[in-house]
Amino acid sequence: MSTIKLQNIKKTYEDGTTVIENLNLDIKDKEFIILVGPSGCGKSTTLRMIAGLEEITDGDLYIGDRRVNDVTPKDRDIAMVFQSYALYPHMTVYKNMAFGLRNRKVPKDEIDRKVKEAAKMLDIERYLNRKPRALSGGQRQRVALGRAMVREPSVFLLDEPLSNLDAKLRTEMRGRISMLHRKLQTTFVYVTHDQTEAMTMADRIVVLKDGKVMQFDTPTELYNHPQNMFVAGFIGSPQMNFLNVKIEVIKNKYAAVSDSFKIWLPERMYDSLSLYRNKEVILGIRPDDLHAESFYIDRTSSDKIKIHIDIAEMTGSDYFLYGTAGTQKITAKVPSTHTVSDDTDCDITVDIDKIHIFDKISEKLICD
Amino acid sequence: MNSDKRIKNGITFVFLLFWSTVFLFPIYLVILNSFKSKFNIVGSPFKFPDKDTFVGIENYVNGIRMSDLIPSFLRTLIITVGSVLVIVFFTSMAAWFIVRVKSKFTKTIYYLFLFSMIVPFQMVMFTMVYICTKLGLNSVLGIIPVYLGFGSGMSVFLFAGFIRGLPLEIEEAAMIDGCGPIRTFFTVVFPMLKPTAITVAILNAMWIWNDFLLPYLLLGTQNKTLSVAIQIATQGAYGSIDWGGFMAMLVLAIIPIVIFYLFCQKYIIKGVIDGAVKG
Repeated sequence: MSTIKLQNIKKTYEDGTTVIENLNLDIKDKEFIILVGPSGCGKSTTLRMIAGLEEITDGDLYIGDRRVNDVTPKDRDIAMVFQSYALYPHMTVYKNMAFGLRNRKVPKDEIDRKVKEAAKMLDIERYLNRKPRALSGGQRQRVALGRAMVREPSVFLLDEPLSNLDAKLRTEMRGRISMLHRKLQTTFVYVTHDQTEAMTMADRIVVLKDGKVMQFDTPTELYNHPQNMFVAGFIGSPQMNFLNVKIEVIKNKYAAVSDSFKIWLPERMYDSLSLYRNKEVILGIRPDDLHAESFYIDRTSSDKIKIHIDIAEMTGSDYFLYGTAGTQKITAKVPSTHTVSDDTDCDITVDIDKIHIFDKISEKLICD
Repeated sequence: MNSDKRIKNGITFVFLLFWSTVFLFPIYLVILNSFKSKFNIVGSPFKFPDKDTFVGIENYVNGIRMSDLIPSFLRTLIITVGSVLVIVFFTSMAAWFIVRVKSKFTKTIYYLFLFSMIVPFQMVMFTMVYICTKLGLNSVLGIIPVYLGFGSGMSVFLFAGFIRGLPLEIEEAAMIDGCGPIRTFFTVVFPMLKPTAITVAILNAMWIWNDFLLPYLLLGTQNKTLSVAIQIATQGAYGSIDWGGFMAMLVLAIIPIVIFYLFCQKYIIKGVIDGAVKG
């Protein structure tokens, strides 16, 4: 069993900088967990603490039922794939993959079988006699994965393994890693700053900011029900629009009002918003949930926002409209079948089923 | 190539040719005169040997016979090889420890190593000879640890500089792959240090092979090394010195170190290229 439990984990460096304060995570067996967050949020430090490469200042770390705070990396039954691949430059691909097994005194024929099996799975059989410097970035990455795989560890740790690859290769490797997880049936802990990687691969995602967990949930939940403005802004591209609005009650109906638009809010929000009457809040709406097609515009007249398009960016299937609604910046995503151009006005409709209301001070979700 | 560049290259070429000549001329003279009879050396040292002055390998035979050249050669070989091996082995480990374990202690040790490069040999010469003699280090094998002391400053400096550029992740990968510090060093770190190890080996081999003062003071004329043997050959009344044999001894003394340098040079270039190409 390879569950991972982080209990009140704290990390303070010698110079007194605290990068992680009271981190609690419960990772289930065979789960694919992705730690995501901006640079310096502590995601790599967390992974390195799980690996045993970084000391834990305070708290308890369990792998399975064993407390491993003071266990050396080699005895934690983990394997790690590094951002820079960290292959041994003087060894051939075969020796790189066999190194860990040889250190553990695994019989030669078993090493040979395991290495060849892994090489076949990762499509690197042809390169077994080459040195790492004779391989491309993608091939090196697969060797690094192979080196981790042959050990059959109970936990796989991956530290931004795709960040040195080009976009096309990254997409391909994403698929490979997901497939690998399904085949190996072990716990994966993966660190990235790329939210697309996180959304496409993870069973659950840990969003970190300044060493604190902002939300730990499935990709769908993170996208549809972010618990705070940080998560709402971090997940999704282009990022969610945050509009300053005031909650007003007009004829027993709640509305989000700004200087240039008024949006009638759905009844499900009334209870949560009762404390926010005549107060300023943040209305969050994803660019995908703003519609410019006539079908939506005609459907309702009340949730319309008139925006001035500064730039209309064509991406192929869609247009990204970057504009302003009154004094506020707003981004919308509309199908490219729609005719839009720079420096024009356009009506867009808000999908009120997809709006999120955040507290302006605490930035926490009030309702969605 | 435009004319400006051509002129620039021409000037560089002439400049380098001039300095190469300045440095190579004494060696040329030594080799030239090692094939001439001893009476023709002093009279016309710059003249190319002709059928009257050419003596074949006679000078070499005399030179070898003259002052126990073969035992001296073997002593120098043992001292140089032993010292270089010991220096490379210990200083690479020391440098790795200094770079990877960051503390005030390692920092102090590092600065002590650097300091040892600045202190001139003459300053410590007499006290060191006294202590070494007391400790019984005035023997062919005993001098090796003394060379370790004198060679470690520069070697630690070179190794530490290289190790700083090595990604720590490779060593961490080795730790996860089941290596302790010692195995990590010997199976992962040391092979990566090969280009620097060869550079350190060449630089140390050259000065230890050619060193005169330390073996002269510690080993004396009993256990004389090559340079001491050559120096002894120059002693004697005017006219009694066999300059031909002396020249031949000089040639014989520099051949091994030149061969060693030429042999290792390709590894240095290979090492530099390995480091320069990404990955």
